[in-house]
Amino acid sequence: MQIAALFRSGAERKPFTKTMFIMKFTVIVLLATCLQVSAKVFSQPVTFSGTNVPLKTVFNVVKEQTGYVFFFDEALLKKTKPVTISAKNMQLTAFLKEVLKTQPLNFHIQGRTIFLSEAPVPVQAEQRAKVKVSGFVFSTDRTPLPGANIQIKGTAIGIAAGDGGSFAMEHVDDNAILQISSVGYLVKEVALARLKAGNELQDIKRLYVDESTIHFEVMLTRSADSLDAIVVNSYTTGYQTLSKERATGAFATVTAGSFKQQRLSSLNSLLEGRVAGYNNGLIRGTTSMNGVTSPLYVIDGFPVENSSLSGNSVIENLPGLNLEDIEKITILKDAAAASIYGARAANGVVVIVTKKAKKGKPQVNASSTFTFQPYNFYTGRLASAEDMVEIEKEWAANNPNFQSPNAATYANSMLANNIYYSQGVKAHLDYYAGNLSQQDLDTKLQQLAQSGYHFYDELEQYAKRNVFLQQHNLSVANASDKNAFYVSVTYRHNALEDKYSANKSLGVNLRNTAHITNWLDLEVSSYLQYTDKQEQYFNPLSPGYNYLPYDGLMNDDGSAYTSYAASRLSANTINIINQYKLYSMDITPLDELGLNRGNTKGFMSRSYAKLHVKFSKWLNYQVSFQYENNNDRFSRLYDKNSYYVRNRVNAFAQYTAANGFQYLLPYGHIFNRQTQLNNAYNFRQQLNFDKTFNRHHNITAIVGSETRNTKLEYNSQTQYNYDPDVLSYSMVNGATLASATGLLLGGTFNASDLGSDNEAINRFVSFYGNIGYSYDDKYLLTGSLRWDRSNLWGTDSKYQDKPLWSIGAGWNIYKEDFFTPGLVTFLKLRSSYGIGGNIAKNSAPYMTAYYNPNFQLGGMQGSISSRPNPLLSWERTFTGNIGIDFVLYGNRVSGSVDYYNKHGKDLLASTQGVPTEGWGYSTYTINNGEMTNHGIETTISADIIRTKDWKWNLTGMFAFNKNKVTYVNVEAPVYFLQLDYPDAFPRVGDPFNSIYSFRWAGLSEQGLAQVYDEKGAKVSNTPSALEAVVYSGSKIPTYSGSFSSSLDFKNFTFAFLLTYEGGHRIRNTDLPILGSQYNSLAGGYVTAFTPVNKLITERWRKAGDEAVTNVPKASFAESPGFSSALSTIYNYADVNVLDAGNIRLRNISLAYNLPSYLIKKAFIESARLQFNVENAFTIAADKNAKYLLGGFNRPYYVWGIYLGF
Amino acid sequence: MYGEYTWVFKLYMLFKKAVMKFTIKYTIPIILLLMVTSLASCKKYLDVIPKGRKIPTTLADYEALVRDEYTNHRAPVTQSVLLLNDRWESQANLNYYPLWKANYYWDVNTNRISLNTTDESAYYTAYSAISTFNLILEHASTATDATDEEKNTLMAQARLGRAMHYFVLVNYYADTYEASNAASKLSVPLIESADIDAPHKQVTIQEMYDYIINNVTEAIPHLPEEGATIVHGTKGAAYAFLARVYLQMSNYDQALINANEALARNDKLFDYVDYYNSYKAQIDQPDNYPSLPSPRGYDYVENYIMMHGESIYSRRESHLRVDRAARFETGDAMLLCRWKPRVVGSETYYYAITTGYYNEGGITTTEVYMIKAECLARKNDIDGAMDVLNAVREKRILPAHYAPLTAGTTQEAIEYIRRTKENETLFSIVAFGDMRRFNKDPLYARTYTKTENGETLTLSPDSHMWTMPIPLGAVKNAGNGTIQQNVNQ
Repeated sequence: MQIAALFRSGAERKPFTKTMFIMKFTVIVLLATCLQVSAKVFSQPVTFSGTNVPLKTVFNVVKEQTGYVFFFDEALLKKTKPVTISAKNMQLTAFLKEVLKTQPLNFHIQGRTIFLSEAPVPVQAEQRAKVKVSGFVFSTDRTPLPGANIQIKGTAIGIAAGDGGSFAMEHVDDNAILQISSVGYLVKEVALARLKAGNELQDIKRLYVDESTIHFEVMLTRSADSLDAIVVNSYTTGYQTLSKERATGAFATVTAGSFKQQRLSSLNSLLEGRVAGYNNGLIRGTTSMNGVTSPLYVIDGFPVENSSLSGNSVIENLPGLNLEDIEKITILKDAAAASIYGARAANGVVVIVTKKAKKGKPQVNASSTFTFQPYNFYTGRLASAEDMVEIEKEWAANNPNFQSPNAATYANSMLANNIYYSQGVKAHLDYYAGNLSQQDLDTKLQQLAQSGYHFYDELEQYAKRNVFLQQHNLSVANASDKNAFYVSVTYRHNALEDKYSANKSLGVNLRNTAHITNWLDLEVSSYLQYTDKQEQYFNPLSPGYNYLPYDGLMNDDGSAYTSYAASRLSANTINIINQYKLYSMDITPLDELGLNRGNTKGFMSRSYAKLHVKFSKWLNYQVSFQYENNNDRFSRLYDKNSYYVRNRVNAFAQYTAANGFQYLLPYGHIFNRQTQLNNAYNFRQQLNFDKTFNRHHNITAIVGSETRNTKLEYNSQTQYNYDPDVLSYSMVNGATLASATGLLLGGTFNASDLGSDNEAINRFVSFYGNIGYSYDDKYLLTGSLRWDRSNLWGTDSKYQDKPLWSIGAGWNIYKEDFFTPGLVTFLKLRSSYGIGGNIAKNSAPYMTAYYNPNFQLGGMQGSISSRPNPLLSWERTFTGNIGIDFVLYGNRVSGSVDYYNKHGKDLLASTQGVPTEGWGYSTYTINNGEMTNHGIETTISADIIRTKDWKWNLTGMFAFNKNKVTYVNVEAPVYFLQLDYPDAFPRVGDPFNSIYSFRWAGLSEQGLAQVYDEKGAKVSNTPSALEAVVYSGSKIPTYSGSFSSSLDFKNFTFAFLLTYEGGHRIRNTDLPILGSQYNSLAGGYVTAFTPVNKLITERWRKAGDEAVTNVPKASFAESPGFSSALSTIYNYADVNVLDAGNIRLRNISLAYNLPSYLIKKAFIESARLQFNVENAFTIAADKNAKYLLGGFNRPYYVWGIYLGF
Repeated sequence: MYGEYTWVFKLYMLFKKAVMKFTIKYTIPIILLLMVTSLASCKKYLDVIPKGRKIPTTLADYEALVRDEYTNHRAPVTQSVLLLNDRWESQANLNYYPLWKANYYWDVNTNRISLNTTDESAYYTAYSAISTFNLILEHASTATDATDEEKNTLMAQARLGRAMHYFVLVNYYADTYEASNAASKLSVPLIESADIDAPHKQVTIQEMYDYIINNVTEAIPHLPEEGATIVHGTKGAAYAFLARVYLQMSNYDQALINANEALARNDKLFDYVDYYNSYKAQIDQPDNYPSLPSPRGYDYVENYIMMHGESIYSRRESHLRVDRAARFETGDAMLLCRWKPRVVGSETYYYAITTGYYNEGGITTTEVYMIKAECLARKNDIDGAMDVLNAVREKRILPAHYAPLTAGTTQEAIEYIRRTKENETLFSIVAFGDMRRFNKDPLYARTYTKTENGETLTLSPDSHMWTMPIPLGAVKNAGNGTIQQNVNQ
């Protein structure tokens, strides 16, 4: 029995038979043998002759001659007889066969060890009743096991299970014992006689057909193997792994296999369309008004919050990892699934499990993808040069100043002060000023009108490039009984459309699990990521001056186009520049492109250690610690030749009587450096309990505690007149710069122009536990409880000790006796209810003030940033969920349906500050909101065809979500705040994330925009009553889903993924009206001639047009009757709230697996070539909506090669 | 073979038994103990407060609040400036802001109450400053790291600051002070606490003036002669402010007493003639519109206390209407140094040629000189009044144009004094307050007229437009109290 101790724990307390041990042992050995590449070891020769030699002596001889040792239970030898044999250079296996042929022993060779086991005693051949035996083989998590072996014990008779794990055998003795086995599973013996007698056997369920047939289901248990914890059909919560059968919560899983057909570009792209209820980074809609709405990401058991600071606000980023390493993603959607995450669970949890080495031969995989996106600027929506020239003509014809006798003076003055930049307008002014003849004007305008989309053509030619992305991955894994090792390296190199924007990253993932003893496992892992990001600073689409489609980036003579200061700035400013010889204010876009590039160098590491102690079969303890460290260093050298530096230095040119002329800011490179230093640690201890009592009652439980700390630090520093070679810079006097007067061109300097620091610390201490009870694996009850404390919320005990909890129940209907299998092979009903929490990371319960230097007055100035809010607590979301899981036709069709109702309470809602209390401009957040989300999620997947050569799977998903604000105590103080900040002023009864607008009343007879005011009257001014502002739809889709297909034919796989979303709206921000811009010299707004939507060509032009168009007449700021309200009401009219429903072909791919006879010679196990088109097309309800949704972006073309060695 | 392994297994078993025993027996209690100890240290662990922000505790923490100019030292009285037609506005800009247009064009038919959602700044800004000062008055006495004297000083400065903002409010949103009816007309809400949901009461105009005077009188003994910065209250600033308040109440005796107290502490005058001469080349260069350093900023020698107008940032001063520039005396160096006529397109205006900071909401010596002059004139000391006025004019008018002014009657003296004071207090609440005050006296009441777009517009001295409606946002979201409008359109 001593040997047994090596392989089983708790042996001394629970005796079990030798046979049991040997059987289990054999399975492990068999498994290992199958996977091992060790055929050559059997060819060792043995030479031995002897008569009636004790078996032990033979073993000694074998050991001496071959080096192979025997491994057996002493008791076995008692039944053996001495051996007589004569062998010369006999193969070891043949020799052993010969030696043991009369012995009650079997042997197996593993490595250099020969294992002996008891051979089954041959059953007496006796005439017995014959029966038909049939059934299904499943794993415990209800996965059918096709290929499982069903053998009649003691005979060679056996068959393999077919699709869906089904089998049938005719003419079987009714007292035979069936041995059912499958690689990786423990062998199950089924005594037919006992089954027939109606005895209950563990893991076996007789399904009654008739007396002559024994029809049953059998469940195989995976062989104990802690190194291979990822069970295919199970859910990982990060705290524990649950089988599909035992879970009561709403889980969804995405396995690596399902995103094999696409490029692994981002975590979102893996989930979009693959999880019902996941849409745009949100799980089951928005659950918070001011808190975090993104789900919590958990990688290999630890929450990873990749947040960073931007000013005072915390931004949530997706966690970094090598996407190729993902084995499986589990989405925890409801309370029973997620509430174990306590105060961060309300938005759902995305649990990522990465790959581990599998036992067997070393696994080496490599892949490369090359992605190409041709550059394109979509001009289809833009008014052309011709359209713009026509509008400029209309402007000239409608400008009252040109009709007055002083037209020439006016035109000259406008030209001298450069109030307008556009070539067309200047030509008109030149004409009125007398500088151009009518003919010259016409020629000029005609020339401009003919240039189409000249600017965008040159943009494509000189300033942009095609996107080219590369991604390479190599992974190596190896595992033995004692150790499993995995390493992967991913390198990405992305060249983006801006010529000087590119990024590179290298991710290295190391993971090792040591099986130190059979009761102690140690897992250590480290993920390291280096990034190097280049960011172009200059945006040729907003070059610092206004342009129109007829402008360009290149002159006719082939030199780069320059926008001269003299063409943009007033004569007075040019005088000042010339008089004091200030730096040139010219802008040459093509020269600026490469200047002032930003560079971010990042280093991220995330490491953990987990120690797993197995006290007994049913109790184990885990202690784990994770440390994360992210370090981003951003630097940008503003080149002294760039417009930015010239403009900045000029802004601090000063003339005073006392000091004369001087530059307060030295001319030279300006160097800005920003560092983000984030670290987090997580310490967790947990006890796991799993025990079955009286065969029927199973209890699993975990109890643990967790401590988390996240610290974010941000620092920015700017040095002036920086020399990147000598590393020197000039001291500048912030106080002087900030309080300077008499600046010739006017500049402002703030404390942050020298540097700034920010810091945020979040700490949590949590205690949690959950318990699951199951009766016969039929009836399930689960419950969880968690207490969280944090430095983020209030001192008031009202909330502090309120736990977050959940309860759940499940019913495996298919296990019931009354359930007749056949069509349905798995059917489960589950429901849950519970609370998840959510936090706002930058809220605090105290009255806090922030302090910064006041350069003008000296000393520090302080401002109250938040008023005391002792009642601040985490938000609580109550979620009820009911769902059905089913599998039909022997696993060919599977699916689930869920209904949920989430009710968020104590949501951090904004409340408008009281003006008289001094907070009129502020809204602050208190736990003062409620909202509900309810919805349905359906997933159905079917293997339509399953033959040797053909396989076709179709999967459809549908999710419906309806959000409603049910309580909030705030009302927008003014109508425009309702329009501009709908999320700060949600209305009870409407969804959160709504769009509000004025009701469109069509165009007036004069072509002016009209909306309905609160009384229902048509007005062309802004209705200021809040009642005139109405709900126009939600920004979040009410339904979403996907449709995907994968078709395999021999070595080819053709797949696509189509997603759809609808029921939501988007405000059209690309309107066919001209804007206006403030001009300080003109003392007001002038028409802004900038690129505008093409629909402007359909504008109202004459009475009667209002019947056919909704585009108002062009109204110019220069007209006396001009009112800004006209564009305001048009902007906010519901006619400009568009249906955002869309269908996107996210991915379409064709893969070809090279036949093995071709690649074997190159020592390649598998090779796949794949071609994808990403975002192939978008169908949207409206052309403008399509533009706003990015539907005109060109697709990505991806070539990929995937190799396995 | 087997024998070779036996001892290993035996040893291993012994070890394992010991370990198992140990783990079961000790590990669980150790874990539990760890959990309990972590509970105990948990509170301290969670008390960490993120940096960058803090809970004010020391007096210095509270004193720093005073230096927050954006919150506490701004008096954006835009609508009054527009109503007075001092600053130039283009037609195009007015088209953008209907409320501005109504005030600028004296459109008595417009209901400003419905439009004033577009400019709430005078109200909101004053109350946010009042909130800060209330906060200081509530907490400074328990602040740490300070002597009682230092605490009293800060609290006195808070009282003065609060009173100055109430003065803006009562002169903008309530009717003009008239002794005959001040006790029966409502002013603005009086709030004395910074707490959420603090109660407030819309007191009468008389109560508000009394409150202001009491606050400042109470503060004076604790105020320093010299403030830490120019936004910190001093005795000089308090006396100057009292002089302003009493003059607004037409209490000439008290105004004069306080004006003298103030002038005893600072009577320096800025020499614009000097300034003009040092920048003459830039100013006189044709077609040149320079950016001269504003003399009227933090270091203006005339400052008692500094308060910004609309903006605390360095900027170009507001442009002036041509007809407003005409109301300056010929040869006024201050006009020449600050504005220069300019034509842009179809608009002609006086373009501002200084940039920097402007003490538009604080108090300067010139204003106190003018208060003193008016008080003397009212008390029939016309020569005395003219002496005080001429002292200022001497620093303003170029020598070529300067001649000391004399007046035959109080009324004549006061018209002279008004002319200079209007120029000196441009864009401030004082210019507006004075106009409202004079309008109540038929002797000095003035009807504005102008022609815009060929239309003659007038603003009568008794127009309802002289009182600004309280912003709708404040009336609708009144907090713990009620607010009623003092003007119905």
